[in-house]
Amino acid sequence: MTDLASTASVHPAAPRFRHGTIEAALGAALLLAWLIAAVGAGVFAPYDPNALDLVAMLAPPDGVHWFGTDHLGRDVFSRVIYGARIDIWMGFAGVIAPLVVGVTVGLIAGYFGGLTDTILMRILDITVAFPFFILVIAIVGVLGPGLVNYIIALALVAWVAYARLVRAEVLVVKRLEYVQAARALGFSDFVIILRHVLPNVLGSITIYAWTDAVMVILAGASLGFLGLGAQPPTAEWGVMIADGQPYVLQAWWICLFPGIAMVTLSLGFILVSDGLSRRLRVSS
Amino acid sequence: MNSISFIGRRLLQIVPVLIGISLVSFFLIMMIPGDPVRMVLGPRATEEAVTAMRQEWGLDRPIWAQYLSYIGNTLTGDLGQSLKFRIPVLDLVLQYLPRTLFLVAYVLVIALPATILMAVIAARNEGRWPDQLIRVISILGMTIPVFWLGVLFARYFGVKLGWFPVSGYGDGFVEHLHHLFLPAVSTSLWLAPLLTRNLRAALIEQTEADYVAASRAKGLPEGYIFRRHILRNSVLPTLNLLGVMIAFLIGGSVVVEIVYAVPGLGALMVGSVLGRDYFVIQGLTLVYAIATVAITLAIDIFTAAIDPRTSE
Amino acid sequence: MPLRLGHLLTAAAVALVCAGPAMAEKIRIGSPYPTTTLDPIRSANAGSIETFGQLYSRLLRVDETRALAPALAEKWEVAPDGTVVTLTLRDAKFSNGDAITADDVVFSLLRVRDTPDSAYPAPMQMLDKAEAVDAKTVKLTLKSAFAPFLGNLEVFNIGIVSKKDVEARGEKAFVENVVTSGPYMVEKWVPNDRLLIAPNPNYWREGYPKNEGAELIEVADSNTRVSMMLSGELDAAREIPWSQVAEVQANESIEMPLEPSTVIYIVLMNHTRPPFDTLEGRQAAAMALDTVAMSNAVTFGAATPANSTLPNALKFYDPELKVNGFDPAAAKTALDASGYDGREITILITDEPEREKQAVLMQALWGQIGIKSKIEKTDAGTFWTRLTEGDYDATPTWWYNETTDPDLAVRWAVCGTCGNKAYYTNYANPEVDKLVEAGAAELDETKRAQIYADIQRITTTEVADIPLYYPPFANAYSKKLTGLRMTPALQWTLEGAEITQ
Repeated sequence: MTDLASTASVHPAAPRFRHGTIEAALGAALLLAWLIAAVGAGVFAPYDPNALDLVAMLAPPDGVHWFGTDHLGRDVFSRVIYGARIDIWMGFAGVIAPLVVGVTVGLIAGYFGGLTDTILMRILDITVAFPFFILVIAIVGVLGPGLVNYIIALALVAWVAYARLVRAEVLVVKRLEYVQAARALGFSDFVIILRHVLPNVLGSITIYAWTDAVMVILAGASLGFLGLGAQPPTAEWGVMIADGQPYVLQAWWICLFPGIAMVTLSLGFILVSDGLSRRLRVSS
Repeated sequence: MNSISFIGRRLLQIVPVLIGISLVSFFLIMMIPGDPVRMVLGPRATEEAVTAMRQEWGLDRPIWAQYLSYIGNTLTGDLGQSLKFRIPVLDLVLQYLPRTLFLVAYVLVIALPATILMAVIAARNEGRWPDQLIRVISILGMTIPVFWLGVLFARYFGVKLGWFPVSGYGDGFVEHLHHLFLPAVSTSLWLAPLLTRNLRAALIEQTEADYVAASRAKGLPEGYIFRRHILRNSVLPTLNLLGVMIAFLIGGSVVVEIVYAVPGLGALMVGSVLGRDYFVIQGLTLVYAIATVAITLAIDIFTAAIDPRTSE
Repeated sequence: MPLRLGHLLTAAAVALVCAGPAMAEKIRIGSPYPTTTLDPIRSANAGSIETFGQLYSRLLRVDETRALAPALAEKWEVAPDGTVVTLTLRDAKFSNGDAITADDVVFSLLRVRDTPDSAYPAPMQMLDKAEAVDAKTVKLTLKSAFAPFLGNLEVFNIGIVSKKDVEARGEKAFVENVVTSGPYMVEKWVPNDRLLIAPNPNYWREGYPKNEGAELIEVADSNTRVSMMLSGELDAAREIPWSQVAEVQANESIEMPLEPSTVIYIVLMNHTRPPFDTLEGRQAAAMALDTVAMSNAVTFGAATPANSTLPNALKFYDPELKVNGFDPAAAKTALDASGYDGREITILITDEPEREKQAVLMQALWGQIGIKSKIEKTDAGTFWTRLTEGDYDATPTWWYNETTDPDLAVRWAVCGTCGNKAYYTNYANPEVDKLVEAGAAELDETKRAQIYADIQRITTTEVADIPLYYPPFANAYSKKLTGLRMTPALQWTLEGAEITQ
């Protein structure tokens, strides 16, 4: 979903106020809280997230089930906590996979230029000109639904934005004097890219990636709605919301709590992104 | 300004892209397990019937042969027939293109003014409460799944208050506006925040720029500087993002289309992939690719008009 | 400036809100099932089936009491040995004014049987010869005596089409200016969205249809169907989610009669894969499933737990049959006896919420007796290919029967020699296969009843599949509508429906 998200981070914000430290810290705190919840899910969750209770289906929130139970009597609180594992993993993996592909392509295209660049950029054009959902659905269709395959599909589709960003930066960086000098000194291309070019582009990429994580989670939820998301009975927030759809009026808690979870996790990612972009702006 | 050769060059670039797209989509779709013929005929179909229909449609031939005849037909302007509906792909696409474009335009009419308003307010109050408020609203808008919001909107505005229809497209311009209001608002609710974040950041960056300080030093009025310099220079990156988003909306409004029962190109695309309706998928990807290129081109020309430096 | 903008927005909002919908005269019906073709022999999918009934008359029809009644055939006669059926056609016309003749009938029937990619030729399999004796008389000769044949003349794909038109225009005949013989003709078809039908002025049934036509709208999302029903944008809707039945029923202007259907939900098992390759393994799987609890959990008590491999709305259904009921202890014993090695099996499902719920319940209940399983969700295209190729372990699914006669049902669900390997389970019992043929050839009703009771007893005991429950149709109807219902065979009684204000 990267293409959706060429957002603010590309143009870092002003340095003047708090340099983004508070924001980044707040975001990091939110993420850390979820991370702790995810790691300690076994301790925090009062129930097995997949344990059915057909007597207590659609029970509203109370002292026994803090967030109520879903359409199969599963404890929503426990599922939200365990869902953190899946969604945090999805956010990171769904960003890192396309990031690795995109950065590699961008570095190679930008640094070498010429025919390599032309070919890679045409491949990029082809990927861009594909409707996002068709490509993802088709890839998920070939591989089968499920989270891992969704991540693979993202790696094949969403690398474009990273490649563009990196390539543009590389074009600037490679004209810098010390890079030119390294080249003149006969350093191998690989070393130059790794030592001098990559560190220069990592900043803007990182900022972008944090926002991208939000898009990955949201697009995952849309796939859940189309029936192509996580395999049941996996507790994943997007699928939980999609599954809770038919009950949204009688049992609002099935959708609401994973929804709040998704909003707060996304908030964490975005705050970190905003904060970092301000700090980067200050330091440059 | 040699805009004609600029456009010409861009159009030439599209040829290899189109070939690539047709190749990828053709072979990718063919790789998905699942037989379109079985889905068309239904579960009761006999093995013989399935074989017969595969032969009739040439689906039993080698993939490369199918690809070649597909390309041949496309070059003569024949996009083929839908396996599922047995009507020409072009008819299907043309049936849905107008309403999809209408919805996209509607979304832009709602989202763009909101974006500019929010971004300007946020940028001018950077770090203060209006900025924070807009940020929180933005994040909410971006993270609430459309399919969840859709049900709530439909039940509240459609059923409870009875203000808007919860489905369909209606007849005539006014009814289109009426019917598509909830879908358009639902889409704008995540699109506007996305654009706002982008524009706000650009505005703040421009405010810091040297030439702005210089203009201030010259004693130019603040409002003039803002409109004439800051806003103008900030729009460019957002325009690029907007182009990407318009392209996405044409093919990616599927969730909204399903939730509000206004099938357009998005629903047709997803339905075709799920139904393995090969020729419709091909036709749609082609249309979509052309649309993407056209939008990018339009944005480029527009950018060049605002900022002459980019066309050099 | 903000003020003026505010005014403008208010004005626009008022204009939008006040632009009410146009006066609806057509009956609007929402269904998740799409109409993919207007040619009755080209599809056996639910949406198309519903449409065919409105466009094409058959020779016979099922009346309100579920008895066979005259339709295009005014009267009919069966030879004493049961192998020849002679039908006399009434004076009727196609929508284009051409007379419906015996030639058209012969053409339509043979088309179902002989077209290579006919989607469902089974109802005409026993037809040997079809002849037009004269313009009004059709003589049908069967391969052998076949009790259900008259009933099969009422099946959805046996609708009469115009020989002249189809021969002249081929496939195009079913795309534009479609010539119909039923109560309606096609006004406008927007594939993937809706079908508008208008009364056929030449329809043979005097005084019908009683309405100005209908708009058959495809609404994939169940929540949307409910919203549309509640906001009055639909007059009838198919498949209200079970969880919202109560809410919809509470609405004063809507009724949900929960009509009986021939739908049955079952668990298919691949009889070539362990633990389902042994009788004990299948019995264990069946006895482990608490079908009462499952039925209640999924349908909120609307469905009847199933006890037989056949739908309960069929003729000769046996309500007394009680085998392999829920019994976890016995299930465990049977599983131990089956030699199951504890390997994990896969429950294959399509991406529908109800299917997912069933699968999660199966997983839990099977887990309690020691059958380990994982759930694999896939889209319908992959699902049907894998099912028909036998590439699955177990799957919850459903089927329905187009007539109330059990012949087609047993051929579909439990017969090993009828072409689909007993619904792709690979269940095969020669005794059952013999009974299937005997049941069709037997003309005496009491003896037939006994034969079908035997089939149900044997196949349920041997667990050809695991019957889960019999759901009613969860259709919602606006109360201003009278006369619209869905027959057990998935056909709307649309022609008799009226909008009363």
